[in-house]
Amino acid sequence: MTTTPVTTGTTGATDRVIGYSRAINEALAEEMRRDERVWMMGQDIGRLGGVFGLTRGLQEEFGPMRVRDTAINETFIVGGAAGAALAGTIPVVELQFADFLFTAADEIFHKLAKWRYMHGGQFTLPVVVRLPSGVVGGAGAEHSQSLETIAMHVPGLKVAVPATPSDAKGLLKAAIRDPDPVLFFEHKGLYRVKGPVPESDEHVVPFGSARVARAGNDLTVVATGLMVDRALAAAEQLAPQGIDVEVIDPRTLVPLDIDTIVASVERTHRLMVVHEASRTAGFGAEIATQVQERAFFSLDAPVWRVCGTDTPLPQDPELEQACIPSTDEIVAAARALAAI
Amino acid sequence: MTNDPGPDREQLEREVYRKVVTIRFAELRIRDHVEKEGFGGFWHPGIGQEGLQVGAVSAMQDDDYLYYAHRGLGYAFAKGMPLEPLFGDLLGRASGSTRGKGGGTVHFADASRHVLGQGGTLGSSFVMGAGTAAASQLLGDGRVTVVFFGDGASGRGTWHEAALQASVWKLPVVWICENNGWALSARFTEQSPTEHVADRAPAYGMPGVIVDGQDAMAVHDATAEAIDRARRGEGPTLIEAKTLRIRGHYEGDRQPYRDDPVLGDEIPNDPVHRLGESIPDDVRRGIDAEARTQVEQAFDAALAAPRADRSVIFEDVWA
Ligand SMILES: Cc1ncc(C[n+]2csc(CCOP(=O)(O)OP(=O)(O)O)c2C)c(N)n1
Ligand SMILES: [Mg+2]
Repeated sequence: MTTTPVTTGTTGATDRVIGYSRAINEALAEEMRRDERVWMMGQDIGRLGGVFGLTRGLQEEFGPMRVRDTAINETFIVGGAAGAALAGTIPVVELQFADFLFTAADEIFHKLAKWRYMHGGQFTLPVVVRLPSGVVGGAGAEHSQSLETIAMHVPGLKVAVPATPSDAKGLLKAAIRDPDPVLFFEHKGLYRVKGPVPESDEHVVPFGSARVARAGNDLTVVATGLMVDRALAAAEQLAPQGIDVEVIDPRTLVPLDIDTIVASVERTHRLMVVHEASRTAGFGAEIATQVQERAFFSLDAPVWRVCGTDTPLPQDPELEQACIPSTDEIVAAARALAAI
Repeated sequence: MTNDPGPDREQLEREVYRKVVTIRFAELRIRDHVEKEGFGGFWHPGIGQEGLQVGAVSAMQDDDYLYYAHRGLGYAFAKGMPLEPLFGDLLGRASGSTRGKGGGTVHFADASRHVLGQGGTLGSSFVMGAGTAAASQLLGDGRVTVVFFGDGASGRGTWHEAALQASVWKLPVVWICENNGWALSARFTEQSPTEHVADRAPAYGMPGVIVDGQDAMAVHDATAEAIDRARRGEGPTLIEAKTLRIRGHYEGDRQPYRDDPVLGDEIPNDPVHRLGESIPDDVRRGIDAEARTQVEQAFDAALAAPRADRSVIFEDVWA
């Protein structure tokens, strides 16, 4: 695990500004060109190019055998990927919504996570499961969840939660090259967001290296996915009020770059974790615990969490937004925490 | 291993007999150990089902892929795995194929022999097997995947997902159901709307073949035909081998639920005897003696091997 935070988000000389979706699509295409063993399956990914358009054009380029439309069969999509990995291929599969990881839970948490272990290390399972995740507006309680903490709790799975186009591309390329199974949580609410992405075919973002999205001295905010942008917006509002917020995006939860977070807290002495997932036993709890274990005496205040509600998500888009942290809530919480 | 026995039929039958009788001795040795020494896991005896397991696997080529089921060791031994690592897995020894993580029969593997392992959740290998076959189809490697499962596991939803996709894609996979009449305490006839598991095959557009599971060579032939079909690119076949669960679900299961005559020691239509009939007595006795010695030696070696060091707990979580 590297401890040097890699900061992106500033436009480099060779960067282009492209969308998060486009970045994912490029990563898939480049990795399939690079390695013939890489292939994809999922529902509506071929002829349609994916319900969110992420795989558009790929079946045209790589043919129907490498970009394969399946029936509605999540246990096959994931379990089949596990089996296909054992036969020497690198499957990158899509579940139409991250919520369906429960539909393929045995395949994800038992087959992908444990097959290598149970069989004495004889096999590797280089599988990527792409999981369109999070609140997007009226998709309902079974199509909107943020389930990354659940993925984090079962040993054997790596977990990526990209928040920018650059990280979406670089982390996906790293995921496809990783010999271990990766659950890749794409935030649906970010698909249309644009940002600078390096031009290179070798733009690979290593797992386990957090990104300092904004440097600051008074308070550390750890956020992922859609919450990174909200935390950054909150930081801009707080700056004129004399509260200088550092925003850290871990980028992967497994492995988790706790070193970067601890080092930041040792400077700012205050920590707040912001996540869209439900509050109870979310990854905020884990980060709070690890930080107090390692840096208790650096803390000037309790560690706070600003999180999704402990409720299912209502389908109504307005009610739904009220269930996840808003920029205003982050601002209010940060101001109160800074005042302790 | 051969696909087309032809004039070598006699030799094939002897080889199948040798493997079946070896596994029979292994079954008896393990039972003895479980009864006398106790056992820190569950041993699901496969006695009486060895014939169908060995018969089917003998129709596979060396680089075909195998997903076995939990009832015994016949599948893996027939695929070429030596006995000692299998016993080692059973006894939780460092010499096991899982290097000491085993215990019971649920997991063993041999990547070099394409024995791909087993999931502890029944029905996992339906979808995994179809996926392995999809990889073979993509790579054009000419390999066929064979998946074993029980009549009870046939109830899993993964069967539907895997069978449907495998048939639509014409994947090179062969499913072999060992219908022994029982799934733990559940009687097959009370949990199936159809008389046979194979009756479900037509709904998936694949052949369903019923074969006498006590007749190892008949199972061999049915499997060889299904494998040929799969290798020709014509898709999957469901084979149902009719057999009997001679013992309890696990060794030590007193089977209070069982109201058919509990078979215990007697094996109707014993595959060992059936195969042995055509082999001259002196030849057969020679094979038996060798098999018995092989089992004794391998079991003793496994018993003598050390248990795994605790450090293995932290190994092989990640590649
Ligand atoms: C998904 C799942 N459900 C239940 C079990 C527990 N279980 C293990 S073996 C077994 C019976 C299996 O019966 P069958 O498939 O007919 O195989 P047999 O034991 O007869 O060889 C059960 C219920 C399990 N391991 N996995
Ligand atoms: Mg059964």
